[in-house]
Amino acid sequence: MPDATISAPFDIYRYRPGQDAAPRYQRYTLEVAPHTPVLTALLKIRAEVDPSLGLRYSCRSAICGSCAMQINSKSRLACETHIGPEVERHGRVVVEPMRNQPVLRDLVVDQAPFWREYDRIEPHLKLDPRRPMPEGRATSMTPAQVDRFKETPRCIACAACYSACPAVEADPAFPGPMALAKLYRFVVDPRDTATQDRLVRIQPNGLWLCLRCHLCTEACPKDVRPSERIRDLKELAIAAQGGTEMGSRHAIGFKENLKDAGQLNEMKLVRATYGLGGMLGQVGQGIRVWRKKPEIMKRPRRIEGMEEVEKIYAALDPPPKEEP
Amino acid sequence: MKIAYYPGCVAQESGKELDMATRWVCRNLGIELVEFPNFSCCGSGFVDEANEVLNVAINARNLAIAERAGLDLLTICSTCQGMLTLAKVRMRDPKVRSRVDAALKPLGIEYKGTAQVKHLLRVLSEDVGLPAVKAKVRRPLHGMKVGAFYGCHLLRPADEMGSESAEEPRSFEELLAAIGATPVEYRGRVMCCGFPIQFVKPSTASAIAGRQILDAKSHGADAMATPCPLCHLSLDAYQNQAAKEVHASLEMPVFHLPQVVGLALGASPEELGLRRHLVPTDAAIAKIRPSAPA
Repeated sequence: MPDATISAPFDIYRYRPGQDAAPRYQRYTLEVAPHTPVLTALLKIRAEVDPSLGLRYSCRSAICGSCAMQINSKSRLACETHIGPEVERHGRVVVEPMRNQPVLRDLVVDQAPFWREYDRIEPHLKLDPRRPMPEGRATSMTPAQVDRFKETPRCIACAACYSACPAVEADPAFPGPMALAKLYRFVVDPRDTATQDRLVRIQPNGLWLCLRCHLCTEACPKDVRPSERIRDLKELAIAAQGGTEMGSRHAIGFKENLKDAGQLNEMKLVRATYGLGGMLGQVGQGIRVWRKKPEIMKRPRRIEGMEEVEKIYAALDPPPKEEP
Repeated sequence: MKIAYYPGCVAQESGKELDMATRWVCRNLGIELVEFPNFSCCGSGFVDEANEVLNVAINARNLAIAERAGLDLLTICSTCQGMLTLAKVRMRDPKVRSRVDAALKPLGIEYKGTAQVKHLLRVLSEDVGLPAVKAKVRRPLHGMKVGAFYGCHLLRPADEMGSESAEEPRSFEELLAAIGATPVEYRGRVMCCGFPIQFVKPSTASAIAGRQILDAKSHGADAMATPCPLCHLSLDAYQNQAAKEVHASLEMPVFHLPQVVGLALGASPEELGLRRHLVPTDAAIAKIRPSAPA
C-alpha cells in the first residue's frame, strides 16, 4: 500500500536579475508523501509544471554539497530535508536561495565570495622544500594527530554555514565559518610548516569577528562544527601571539579579570581591551549607561573561596602540556 | 522548589534589574533561591577562547558547589547557561576530565556531574509549569505584542544544550502566551544579538543587533523580551548605536524575561527595575488592555 500523501504548499523564490523588476514568490501545491525530500519536489515542479525554475543540484545523496538553500529560513541541503515536518511546523515550505551570496537566478547563487575566502586561507599543505621528510614518511601522522582535525575533512563545501552566518552578513571582513574551519585543519596539521604565519595572518583578518553564535554548527549538514574549530583557532592564536587584536586582548583581559575577585569588573575589562586612550572614545556611551546603571563603576565583591579559583589558575593557566 | 541561584556577573552589576525581577518572580511562584557567595563568574565565553581547560575547571568548581548541597542550578543568563552546560559536556571527555580533576582534587573539590543546569525559562516551563504560572497572573498582558529573543547559548549547539529544538524553540512563546501577551514570530528570534563582538568591532555588533530589532519591529512587536542580560545590553543599552547602524528609528522596549512575567503577576515597574533601562518601557506597557473584573 502506498504511503498516505499530504498536500504541500511550496512558496518558491523566483528572480532573474536584470530581467525581473523584483523577486517574487510563486506558489505550487504538490501531493507528496511526507518523507519526500524538498529537492525531489523541486525537480518534480521543474519537470512537470515549470521548466524555467533555476536550481543547482547533483548527487541527491547529501554528498556533493550542491543543493544548499534556505528552507523555511534555515540553510540546509534540499536533498535531505523532508517535506512532512516542514509542513507540520510551518504550514508550508518556503524555499529561497542561500543568503550572503548574490542571486544568479531563482535558487542559484554566485558562490564566488565563499570560494574567495577559502582561497585566501591558502588551503594546501605548506611543506618545507629545504627539509624534505624522509622517504616514505612524508605524509605519516599518528592517529592522535589525525584526531585533532577529524571533523573538518567531512566538509562538503555546501556553504550552508556561510549562508547562516550573521557575521558574514554584517561584515565583509569576516572570512566565514568554512574558511576558518579549514584554516584550523592546516594549523594543527603537524606536516604544515606555516602554522605560526597562518595564525599571525588570520588574527587581524577576521578571526575575532566570530560571534560564537553556533548558527554555522547548526546549519552544517556534516557536523564539522565550525564554531568549535574557530574557538580552537582563537586559543591557538593567543598561545602563538598573545593579545595583538581587540578580540584577543578582550579574551585575555577577561581571563585576567576573573583572577582578581572571581567576578567580572566591567570597567577594568573595558580598560584592558581598549587601553586608556581607547576608553576615551567610549566616554559618551559610558555616561549614558552609567546614569541608569551606576553599578558599572562598582568594584565587584571578592567571592568566597577565591583562593580555590587562584589555585585553579595556578594549575591550569597556561594549560599544562598535553602528553603526546 | 529549592534551587541554587546562579545570578551571573551582569545581573549583579549593570543588569541589577534582572536580579530584582528574578527574585520577585521566584518569591511569588514559590521558588526558593539558595545563594552561594562562593560562585565565580562563568567566563562568559571569553575565558573559553583564551584557555579552554581553565574555563571548564572554573565551571566544574561552580557545579560542584551546587552538587555538594544536592541542588540543581538556576541560571538567568543564556551565556551562563551555555558555559555551565558546556563544562558538563566537556567533562565527559576523559582527557579534559583528568586534567580538571587533577587541578580540583588538591582543593578537596569533587565534580560528579549530578547537578542539572536550568535556565529560568525552563524552570517556569517545566518545573513550575505554565498552568501554575497562568494561575498567578493578575494582570494579563493582553494587547501587548512581544518578540521573544532567545539568545544563542540557551539553544546552541543544540546537541550539547539539548533542552528543546534550537531551530524551532517554542517555550518562550508559550510562556508569553500563558501570561496573556501575543508572541510575535520573526526570524531574528533565534539569531545573535551581536554582543560577543561589542568590544571587537562595535559597529558590526550594533548592526547585527539593529537587524534583529528591526525584524521584530517589522513583524509588529511592541516590545522584545530576552532571557539573557548580555542580549539585553546589546538590544537596550546599545540600541542607540544599533539604530545608527541600520539607519532607522528603533525605540524598541526590551524586557528581561522575569520582567514580563513579573508585570503579568502584578509587580510594579519599580519592583522590576524598569526605570533602569535605556529605552523606556512605558509605550509597551501602555498597550496592555485592562481586563474586565471577574
